[in-house]
Amino acid sequence: MTKIYDAVVIGAGHNGLVTAAYLAKSGLSTLVLERRDVVGGAAATESIFEGFRFDTGAHRIGSLHPSLMNDLELGRHGVEILHLDPPVFAPLADRRRLLLWRDPQRTAESIREISKADADRWVPFTQLVAQAAGLLEAAYATTPPNVVTGGARDLWTALKLAARLRRLGKKDMIEVLRILPMSVKELLDDWFESDALKGTLAATGITGIFQGPMAAGTAFTFLHHHVGVASGVLRPTTRVRGGVGALTTGLAAAAAARGAEIKTNSEIARVLVEDGKATGVVLETGDEIRARRVISNADPRRTFTQLVQPSELNPEFARKIGNIKFKGACAKVHLALREPPDFTCLPGSGHHLNGVISVSPSIEYLERAYDDAKYGDVSQRPYLEAIIPTVTDPSLAPTGKHIVSIHVQYAPYSLREGKWDDERRQALGDAVVETLAEYAPNLESAVLQRHVLTPADLEDTLGLTEGNIYHGELTMDQLFFMRPVPECARYRTPIENLYLCGAGTHPGGGVTGAPGYNAAREILRDVKGRG
Amino acid sequence: MTKGANYDAIIVGGGHNGLVNAAYLARAGKHVLVLERRHVLGGATVTEEIFPGFKYTVLSYVVSLLRPEIIRELDLPSHGLEILPLESTVTPLPNGDYLGRWADHDQTRRELYRHSPRDAEAYDDYGKLMYHLAYAVKPIVAMVPPDPTSLSFKDLRGLLKVGKHFRSLGEEQFHALFKLMTMSSSDFLDEWFETVPLKATMSASGIIGTFLGPRSPGTAYVLLHHYMGELDGAFRAWGFARGGTGAISASIAGAARKFGAEIRTEAGVTQVTVKDGRATGVVLDNGDEISARVVVSGLDPKHTFLNLVEANHLPGDFVDTIRRFKIRGSSGKVNLSLSELPNFTCLPGVGPHLRGAISISPSVDYIERAYDDAKYGDFSRRPYMDIIIPSMIDPTMAPPGKHVMSIFVQYAPSDLTGGWNETKREAFGDAVINTLSQFAPNLPSAILHRQVMTPWDMERDMGLTQGNIFHGELSLHQLFFLRPAPAWCDYSTPLKNYYQCGSGTHPGGGISGWSGRLAALKVLKDW
Repeated sequence: MTKIYDAVVIGAGHNGLVTAAYLAKSGLSTLVLERRDVVGGAAATESIFEGFRFDTGAHRIGSLHPSLMNDLELGRHGVEILHLDPPVFAPLADRRRLLLWRDPQRTAESIREISKADADRWVPFTQLVAQAAGLLEAAYATTPPNVVTGGARDLWTALKLAARLRRLGKKDMIEVLRILPMSVKELLDDWFESDALKGTLAATGITGIFQGPMAAGTAFTFLHHHVGVASGVLRPTTRVRGGVGALTTGLAAAAAARGAEIKTNSEIARVLVEDGKATGVVLETGDEIRARRVISNADPRRTFTQLVQPSELNPEFARKIGNIKFKGACAKVHLALREPPDFTCLPGSGHHLNGVISVSPSIEYLERAYDDAKYGDVSQRPYLEAIIPTVTDPSLAPTGKHIVSIHVQYAPYSLREGKWDDERRQALGDAVVETLAEYAPNLESAVLQRHVLTPADLEDTLGLTEGNIYHGELTMDQLFFMRPVPECARYRTPIENLYLCGAGTHPGGGVTGAPGYNAAREILRDVKGRG
Repeated sequence: MTKGANYDAIIVGGGHNGLVNAAYLARAGKHVLVLERRHVLGGATVTEEIFPGFKYTVLSYVVSLLRPEIIRELDLPSHGLEILPLESTVTPLPNGDYLGRWADHDQTRRELYRHSPRDAEAYDDYGKLMYHLAYAVKPIVAMVPPDPTSLSFKDLRGLLKVGKHFRSLGEEQFHALFKLMTMSSSDFLDEWFETVPLKATMSASGIIGTFLGPRSPGTAYVLLHHYMGELDGAFRAWGFARGGTGAISASIAGAARKFGAEIRTEAGVTQVTVKDGRATGVVLDNGDEISARVVVSGLDPKHTFLNLVEANHLPGDFVDTIRRFKIRGSSGKVNLSLSELPNFTCLPGVGPHLRGAISISPSVDYIERAYDDAKYGDFSRRPYMDIIIPSMIDPTMAPPGKHVMSIFVQYAPSDLTGGWNETKREAFGDAVINTLSQFAPNLPSAILHRQVMTPWDMERDMGLTQGNIFHGELSLHQLFFLRPAPAWCDYSTPLKNYYQCGSGTHPGGGISGWSGRLAALKVLKDW
């Protein structure tokens, strides 16, 4: 008789692995199926060029769900978290620069070189951010309550969140509520005067979304990226030694140690549905695998348009899935270098190369980059977040050599005319190298190899719909009980025994493991409920 | 309350909300004085004969939200209020075609079908949803917002009411409402329609009075306002007041006078007098002092709290909040006297389209580009425009055979790079005429007179801070209990006996009278 698994997880992205590890830990026979030859999905480290290992998707991680390290003994499985300091180096014109440090006082001193007033406001601002992010953190740790038709438990969750909000005290509570729907520009204009400081912070408000910093709602995105971050630190840069892939291989090892099976090169053709219930999956090879429950780490669009037959879905639900905004906005550029970039404003090597290098000299610069994209063009002067991991982690390149990983915004998935092709891919690569070379002139001659991932490439290689790195835009209308659609906000779906666990669910993208953790909790609750 | 005061209540500013407030207070038997700085009543709700024989609706020009209970309770028709329907919205397109939406449902459906059969189908479903949502939201808009930080019984009860109300909507409507509150109008409409000018023209209503483009989140909510307007009980209708919007102010003033209110024009208030932490009256620009038991300001929050009252009478936190209140102006107005009607290439000659609105909004990209100019400190070279020809609806607005045209224009940023001056104002006017003449080539030669209102003019003439037509931007963080400042959203202020009744309070914006009425009820409740 064929084996029936307790759970099959589609996709070995970091959230899928987290869910699998927790299910296996609770004694469920669990199988993870990954289409690619490596685990990790958008959190993988791969040899693109001989001897050079790149984080092909995310090149830094968010705040990992606080329970993961201990529950899954990730340290034992080789996961070492690096909090880079300074997290951000922003090169500016005229040999000026801005450094954000983990120590707020030290950051204030760096800011003082460009604005005395801003330096004085830095610490109070970090406190406001910590408070607002703390509130979001409470919301992120819970399964979104059904506030409309939900029962006592949903109301209790909602009340607990409301109580958490009230605990902030009147003044702070109001301030938090006030800033959530603002633009990140309005938020920063209330506090600071320096273009460079505002640009460097505002970049966090637009990361991964198809909006500029002047659009309402970007203050929320800014706060989102500070959930779980140590108080006083803004724009943290956190990596995993050996690359982000070390996290996912560590998670895979942790899952395997708890009894989960993980198979790569196993593409799913479809989810088996019988009488409205998921009963397993069919592989591309035609093999069937039976399971009591199926958990998809793929994004919701892919899950419901490619893995599930349309006939299994109610048309209204299908319409909502079709309406989820993806709007990929970013590209990745990977460079293999013979020498590290040498910045005009801070020549030579030094601490400044530890964290990310942010090309975001002003809010207007970012907004103009968005303007190009809004009409379907690649930004002529894009926002760049570059990282040289070999500075703190030399094992990723041959001795003496370096790599640079660059997150590029904006590169729209939908172009005004035509489609992404190699010519456009190379033009994007050229624009990125030229932009960074304005601050580090040796860059162009230092490049040994270059690899460019357009939004279309991100879709093709990593399975990210429209190249959206978050499995669906992280905007307010697609968060909390709306993420990805209200019917799936609690990780369950209209198809019984089919669950979602990826970044397309609450609380969304970034390498945090939070969706996977929450999904596992809900699945186990259902398992228990049925005895 | 001050004993022996000259009046029970002084209303600062004879805009429509101030007048509504005065009328309700007078109706309750209070001895009321309205003080208006200008020679004419109405504030931004005014009709003026700028050039002999040509009556301009200088700023506001249409009405849809005026509360039916106000019309009824103040019996405004007996004071001359008559609302004439606007029958259509036509969007001329650069290719010589147009998109029309008409009062006649079947005609609209046929027209939409011509552009997209799919959209013709979706339009009805969309209308139904918005109609339901407008009904659902109305009680929230009509209530005095509860203060969520307060633990008072009244506020908790208010919060509970809001919560229960939302639960009663049912899931589908609640989620649709949530999307409306958080999405951009462009994204929201993309879920429904494919016809470019239809999406553009509808999304334009989401940007009016905001400093946002149609692709910015937060603009979808205003789409709902269009379905909230009630004209004699008929939802969704836009109307034109016979005699222009000034006739609305005049009818409210008439009602207020009938109830015994005294109204003085050319009586600007420079200061609210304060004694022992209470407002006691006002000082006029001629130095006269008038005392009253309460003072109600119909001016915007900046004027109300930063100019009329000395800062030491207000809590520092509160003053900071008001300073941070966003009130950037983003729109302009051009009023024209015409020797002949504009002849639109897409619909030549005289037709019913000239009795409705004409919207220059061929695509979302077009409006978005207009916004791009403004966000970097320039006025739009190719602006979004909402145009009506009042003389086609009410012939008394212009001499026989002649016409007046009212053009609402966005964007004209208040903080224009280098500041506004007369040259820039005329350059702005030229950009408007130039753009419009591409759709109606005879327009430039038909112009007899032209009045251009920039945010600079609105501030100077009408007293609108930064020329913001809504007394403060209608963005999510400035609505409901946050308008104009948290905990001071119930029309009272931190200064005892001082109240606010302008558009800068909940629900804000448009000629609704809502704020004026709710504020009057609050004053009477506290009496």
